[in-house]
Amino acid sequence: MYQQNEEDIFVIDAHVHLWDATEENIKHEGGEEFIQCFYDYHTTFTPEERQWDMDEYRKYGADRMVADLFGDAAADMGIFQPTYLTDFYAEGFNTTEQNAALATEYPERFVLNGTFDPRDGDQGLEYLEELHENYEIPGVKLYTAEWRGDSKGWRLDDEEAFEFLEKCSELGIENIHAHKGPTIRPLNRDAFDVADVDDAASSFPELNFVVEHVGLPRLDDFCWIAAQENNVYGGLAVAAPFAQNRPGKFSEIMSELLWWLGEERVLFGSDYALWNPDWLVEEVMEAELTQEHRAEYGVEWDLETKKKVMGENAADLYDIDIEAKRQAFQDDEISQQFGLEDHYAGEEPAAADD
Amino acid sequence: MSSQISDGPTRAAVRDRLNRVTDPELDCSIVALEYVDGIEITGHRVAVDLTLPTAWCSPAFAWMMAVDARDEVESLSTVEESRITLHEHMHETEITRGVNERLSFGEAFPDADGDVAAVRAELDEKARVARQYDAVEALLDAGLDAEAIVDLSSRDLEMDDSTNTVAVYVDDRSFAVTVPNDPIERYLHKARETALVSEPDASLFRTPEGDPIDAESFALVHRRGRLTQVNMSSQGGICDGLREARERRLEGAADD
Repeated sequence: MYQQNEEDIFVIDAHVHLWDATEENIKHEGGEEFIQCFYDYHTTFTPEERQWDMDEYRKYGADRMVADLFGDAAADMGIFQPTYLTDFYAEGFNTTEQNAALATEYPERFVLNGTFDPRDGDQGLEYLEELHENYEIPGVKLYTAEWRGDSKGWRLDDEEAFEFLEKCSELGIENIHAHKGPTIRPLNRDAFDVADVDDAASSFPELNFVVEHVGLPRLDDFCWIAAQENNVYGGLAVAAPFAQNRPGKFSEIMSELLWWLGEERVLFGSDYALWNPDWLVEEVMEAELTQEHRAEYGVEWDLETKKKVMGENAADLYDIDIEAKRQAFQDDEISQQFGLEDHYAGEEPAAADD
Repeated sequence: MSSQISDGPTRAAVRDRLNRVTDPELDCSIVALEYVDGIEITGHRVAVDLTLPTAWCSPAFAWMMAVDARDEVESLSTVEESRITLHEHMHETEITRGVNERLSFGEAFPDADGDVAAVRAELDEKARVARQYDAVEALLDAGLDAEAIVDLSSRDLEMDDSTNTVAVYVDDRSFAVTVPNDPIERYLHKARETALVSEPDASLFRTPEGDPIDAESFALVHRRGRLTQVNMSSQGGICDGLREARERRLEGAADD
């Protein structure tokens, strides 16, 4: 938990991965380009002394992930958002099953989301049911720009996608994390277009649609859609690390989000290992809106707002009882491993909160 | 080596032309964004090298910039032919070949579904909305209110190039306010490109969807303009950072 003004803020990192981009796992040049592009994002928005080298970035492993997320209680829980990319990576980049190895070891600390791909047809529907049966997934991460054979992507408002959303609704898989990414088929279209979320969100009011990296580079379309569809949320990945080296821009983006969506529909996420919560949480918690933006937008990045964005909003979507978790973490395996029992008992701030 | 013969183009003239090419997503010149790596002039031939911030930049956007660069350079009467080379991109081969062989996007990418016209129009529209915000801000600063601003048409504008100002007539031309011409002209340029103000009495300012604005929704439409600007400048920050990161990485690799 992060401590500010003598209050504890429970942090749920709503977007984490345990990926493998080692050269042995790459089977298509797209896989190498992909991890190089991620690495550029990493170095662009990470303080120099906290940057990883390329080898550790390709594969960091479960132990390191647990230590980075929870070792100094930067985050209290994490939500796995799988990214398959099986056309690029022989065993997948990070599949539900791979993430599950860690998530089932520490079920109290991780939420395990699954995925679907409407291009898989009936087999895909069966796979979704299987994920539901095996892991009771409460959400799915959808990567609409994923290459598969000749196809370079799909849309959430495709007829086939609606079949899968219906299945989610039927199974009680309520949280749909839509991730827009580069190059989609047809190539002449805009890969980051978020318009398909609008139709899906209004057709499935019982589901929650979390648009990752707040739709950037389509923040404008995203906010306009979210202003009209109250089941559309924004995930802060990519926007969050602006706090560190472009604080004025962070202030502006956050002001827009709070103005258009309100404080209840924005979710913190590091997109680990793109960025590491062990420094990112502090940067976001200590960020301030400029006087000009506060006056212009009439919004505040105050303690109450931060509590919601950093944890409570995700807790609402995922039925997490924060107080019960805090109690449980006073002696769970991770707290024992990192000596955090007193931290969760409210007696001692963790090292990160200095 | 570059060499300039008597009637070939000057480097400055080529740069000036390239400066008119914008990254359609950021509404900013490709020269200012430092996408132009090299200009080589040999007689009446001009070769331009382009590198975008990431290998994953939208192929449609990359295509538009490459085509626009070609067309701008070739609009110089001193240029017979240009050659555009895109570097470090997932689709550099298709785009370089397509642009220089004068193919259509559909011909360059057989698996694409048609042309880039729709996405280009969409980005032009965003650029117009962002520029409208600056134009409207200038009018608000000059003391005009929502009612007066939503009623304006292009015939209410009188450019004065000697003072770099625009006289804006309101209330049935009963009086005028004077504002700097830069934000107004930048707006008009894009508005004309998007064919919104072709008639002199058509509403000058529009919603992002292209409709006239009613006074009650003026504030919300203006907010959307601001949001569009924030989106562009944020994405600009990302592109800029990625470009620097990639340059460092490639330099590092070259040093090894």
